[in-house]
Amino acid sequence: MHPNIESADTDGALADAHEHSTAILDILDDFAARATGLDATQRAVMNILDDFDVERRKVEVVNEELRGQIVERIRVEETLRSASIAAEAAGARIDAAQRAVLNILDDATTETLRLNDTQRAILNILDDDEGERQQFASTQKAILNILDDSADEKSQSKDLQLAALNILDDVEIERQKVEYMNGELREQIVERTRVEEALRRASAATEAANRELEAFSYSVAHDLRAPLRSIDGFSQALLEDCAEQLPQEGVTYLGFVRESAQHMAQLIDDLLSMSRVARSEFNRSTVNLAAVARHVVTRLMRDHPDRSVELIIPQEIMVAGDARLLELALENLLGNAWKFTRKRTPAHIEFGEMPDGLPTVYFVRDNGAGFNMAFAGKLFAVFQRLHTVTEFEGTGIGLANVERIIHRHGGRIWAEGEVDRGATFYFTLEEAA
Amino acid sequence: MTTATILLVEDNSKDEALTLRALKKAGITNEVIVTRDGAEALDYLFCTGAFADREPSALPTVALVDLNLPKISGHEVVRRIRADSRTRLLPVVILTSSNEDEDRTKGYIAGANSYVRKPVEFGAFAGAVQQLGLYWLVLNERVPPVTGNRTGTGTASSHEARSSDTNV
Repeated sequence: MHPNIESADTDGALADAHEHSTAILDILDDFAARATGLDATQRAVMNILDDFDVERRKVEVVNEELRGQIVERIRVEETLRSASIAAEAAGARIDAAQRAVLNILDDATTETLRLNDTQRAILNILDDDEGERQQFASTQKAILNILDDSADEKSQSKDLQLAALNILDDVEIERQKVEYMNGELREQIVERTRVEEALRRASAATEAANRELEAFSYSVAHDLRAPLRSIDGFSQALLEDCAEQLPQEGVTYLGFVRESAQHMAQLIDDLLSMSRVARSEFNRSTVNLAAVARHVVTRLMRDHPDRSVELIIPQEIMVAGDARLLELALENLLGNAWKFTRKRTPAHIEFGEMPDGLPTVYFVRDNGAGFNMAFAGKLFAVFQRLHTVTEFEGTGIGLANVERIIHRHGGRIWAEGEVDRGATFYFTLEEAA
Repeated sequence: MTTATILLVEDNSKDEALTLRALKKAGITNEVIVTRDGAEALDYLFCTGAFADREPSALPTVALVDLNLPKISGHEVVRRIRADSRTRLLPVVILTSSNEDEDRTKGYIAGANSYVRKPVEFGAFAGAVQQLGLYWLVLNERVPPVTGNRTGTGTASSHEARSSDTNV
């Protein structure tokens, strides 16, 4: 294409064009220079933004740590609730953890302050370049948006802080509860320790007392009888070997000496038997009380062949109790019946059980000397007798012993009687329902 | 064996006198060797101490042993009698005031042949001693002597602790 253009016009046009292009180039240069300045400012801002991002990430890390701490808090709190026995130690741990959380919260506050400083630094830079600020208002707005985001982050961090403080408040309440429980536990432990100590002392005292009783019983059994044997034996020797030299009174007195020695020996035996009833082990088994009664009566008949007694004993009375103790009880009850019917002909002794009644009532009945009901209360007391030794021999221990045996079975014993019309002793072997 | 003897182990001199009197009244005139404590009784049986030159084969026919003895208790005396081959078959009767279950059980476990309680009333006491003497010296058949080991029979009386002197 070759347009037909005049050269002068062309030259002028070319000069104009050159001038225009130079101006444009100048403008472009100027623009480039401004652009370069802008770039530097932009880079500075970008750097600041980068720095700011780093700070924000730090805050995030701190927040993450905070969240981790809060989770840990909750876990510690759970541990506290479930493990009240180790609560003291847990309490100490709570304190430490609390301090750690507060330290972290302090750190977070420091971070927030640093963030504010950075913000202020950015604003200063922006203030320094008023023109730039107008040109890059959008950039500034973007930065401010970012800063808004940062403010959001900050308020979120504050919320988290508040939440953490609330949790710490809750933890504090829980800790107070735990402390209260600990206090109660400590009191219980102190009380329990006191009771245990009292028990231990009581049981030691009982053991010591039992050992003493054993030693005492043994001494009584062995050592007290020997002198009595001498008193009785040598009185008898005197009576036998020196009878010619003794006046009748002397013979009578020696008889009293022997009677007393024998009575004392009987007392010792009965007391020992009583102590044995008290300290012997209780072995419960099924016992045919009727068979025991027949056994006891057989012995009485053998020892007193001159006596004739009408006996009524059923075939079988099954009870639960200590066979040995029950035999001792029946020995005493039937022995009494045997003794106090001595002056009766015919003598009647009956052992049996009442037709009804819960618990079952057993009885030993005789038609012997009986007793005045006014003195019934004295029957079972130790050394209490309702007859003189000359009337009916005895030590006043037998029925006391029977009562102990019945009580050891959980039962009770009582008696009915009338002078010269006999006596009936009733007993049960288990507690009333 | 013609001489049946009784070894009485008794620390109470009055009980000793009563026992000897009861034996005499029962017509039992056999020699009674009296030792006053457990150690002396064992010395006598095993020919040691004061009885070192006693003829070992001459054992008593029966030993009546009290329980509460000085030095060595009656239970221990019975145990040692049973533990030694020379005396393990010797009839041993515990003769005591004690009627404690524990003493009885321990006595039988130690190896006593019999356990008799001394009654306080002299008639009963004399009766018990008489029955013991008659049973162990007359009724009961002794262990046969070991042949060739009975050379010194009859010389025992010259070594005894204290011959019966029943002038009570």
